[in-house]
Amino acid sequence: MERENVLYVMKSYIEKMPSLPTTVAKILQICNDPKTSPTDLNRLISLDPVLMGKVMKLINSAYYGLSQKITSLVRAIIMLGINTVKNLSLSTAVLASLGKKTDFQALNMEGFWKHSICVGSTAKLIAKKRNIDPKLLEEYFIAGLLHDIGKIPLNNRLSKNFIEALSEAERSRHPLYFAEQHILNVDHSEIGRLIVDNWKLSKDIEDVVIFHHNLTEYQGENLDILYTVAISNYFANVSELGFSGDRFPEKIQDDVFNYLGIGWQYLEEIEDDIKKEIEKAQIFLEVVK
Amino acid sequence: MSISMRFWGVRGSIPCPGADTVKYGGNTACIELRFQPINRLIIIDAGSGIRALGDLIMKQDLPKGPIKTEIFLTHTHWDHIMGFPFFTPIYIPGTELTIYGPVTYEEDTLDKIVGDQLRYRYFPVRQSELAAKINYEQLQECEKDLGDGIVMRTKYLNHPILCLGYRFEYQGKVLCTAYDTEPFQNVFAQNKGSPDFDKEACLEGEIVTKQENEKILKFFKDADVVIHDTQYTHKEYNPGKIGWGHSTFEYAINAAHKANVKKLFLFHHDPLRKDEELDKLEAAYQSKVRGKSALQVEAAREGRLLEI
Repeated sequence: MERENVLYVMKSYIEKMPSLPTTVAKILQICNDPKTSPTDLNRLISLDPVLMGKVMKLINSAYYGLSQKITSLVRAIIMLGINTVKNLSLSTAVLASLGKKTDFQALNMEGFWKHSICVGSTAKLIAKKRNIDPKLLEEYFIAGLLHDIGKIPLNNRLSKNFIEALSEAERSRHPLYFAEQHILNVDHSEIGRLIVDNWKLSKDIEDVVIFHHNLTEYQGENLDILYTVAISNYFANVSELGFSGDRFPEKIQDDVFNYLGIGWQYLEEIEDDIKKEIEKAQIFLEVVK
Repeated sequence: MSISMRFWGVRGSIPCPGADTVKYGGNTACIELRFQPINRLIIIDAGSGIRALGDLIMKQDLPKGPIKTEIFLTHTHWDHIMGFPFFTPIYIPGTELTIYGPVTYEEDTLDKIVGDQLRYRYFPVRQSELAAKINYEQLQECEKDLGDGIVMRTKYLNHPILCLGYRFEYQGKVLCTAYDTEPFQNVFAQNKGSPDFDKEACLEGEIVTKQENEKILKFFKDADVVIHDTQYTHKEYNPGKIGWGHSTFEYAINAAHKANVKKLFLFHHDPLRKDEELDKLEAAYQSKVRGKSALQVEAAREGRLLEI
């Protein structure tokens, strides 16, 4: 398919993607600010009725098993505390931005979400282990969660070609982005770039979305988070935790592992923890879809 | 038919042995309940007090057969779980133990939070080496039939992490815990001049606060015994300790009176609270209540045994 045509179709889709991501960026900012007041949080979430609805649904989900339904955010903040509501809102907003069931034509939504959550959780666990500033841990999670966001428009609007790319990758045992370039003349990182430009996410998340398959060309300052997500992505793919179409990813070079000071063994050690995180996130998936 | 209750730890935050805490005791939260005549044992919290309870169980219960019991954790703050590695029955083959408790979202699972205390970095024995069969069950707000005619209800309280109050009902007798908790507050700015002031949120906050506090009162309504957080006096609490998740003597006594409670145990004593201070506070509050309410007020003391 002509590259120009692909980009045209993608851009028109991306322009119509829901506005939730602005809230994600704001919530991220608010969650990292210990001075955030209950009023700030209430105002921010109330501004976005979709997010508001999802947060309420989550609060009333099986997780808390509240005997009486909570129907107002003010009550939720008073009862569960500002930190809990902050965390719930953040997770909800981020997961919602991964797309609805109808967005999924070629890839299976469940599998894609599991893969995304797995990469996010793994990145966060690695960051935690390496004593990264706790304030930044959520950034690692979100960067991991969103790294493949470019696959959503491909999956939705060019599903036939995307399926072709998926089967070529499978047949010739190539990384998916390789097959995407062959069939569509673009890959999901490029489409990801269009999305993050539109969403105005922070630079580190942007870099991860754009460069996670192109580490050697990266010249920016966010090497740490980029390498962490790249390793997490590789681990999720080869361990087949979730599925994002990449069964034969490119091997990550030793210098990337060395840069972070971790080895494959460490990833195997935390595999159980990662699985538990995925299990826990399942409840969010139920609510958000 | 009765519930017999004994305190093994009544202190909040951290164990504080010493000359100033001999009378009320320095161990952190642990309560033994025996449902008679079947002698069913239920334990509330695994603070440092559970060590001595474990020793008693070894002496008294083990000779009669394998130990089977349940621990209900109010929450997983350290003072409520720290005694677990020292609870001897977990090392005895044949012991069957179920541990219940709430887990805050984003935290690990209950078995990890409690069991990870048994890791080489903290303790010489690992959880996987324990002889007992231990089962963990995460709890929410619920009603549960525990068998033998015992019904248990739980209610979320107000603490920085998820924390449950327990209500045990048995043969018409009722025992409730309401710790660690603080009265719900309207956290929305109430000062009209503040840039943070939002009239609607503030007004709704007022109503919600009142309703949520009433729900907790309803939870321990008509109980024979309520064991309530009273870490602070009103003077200590306001303004320095708001939001820490603990109640005042004044609040607990008023709440128990309003809820028609028969007996209130003042519980979760501050580590700085000396015996003589507690004596004075207990006497002062008892005399304030006398003649005005049928409520009996007593400061919880390690070793105190009560038949309900």
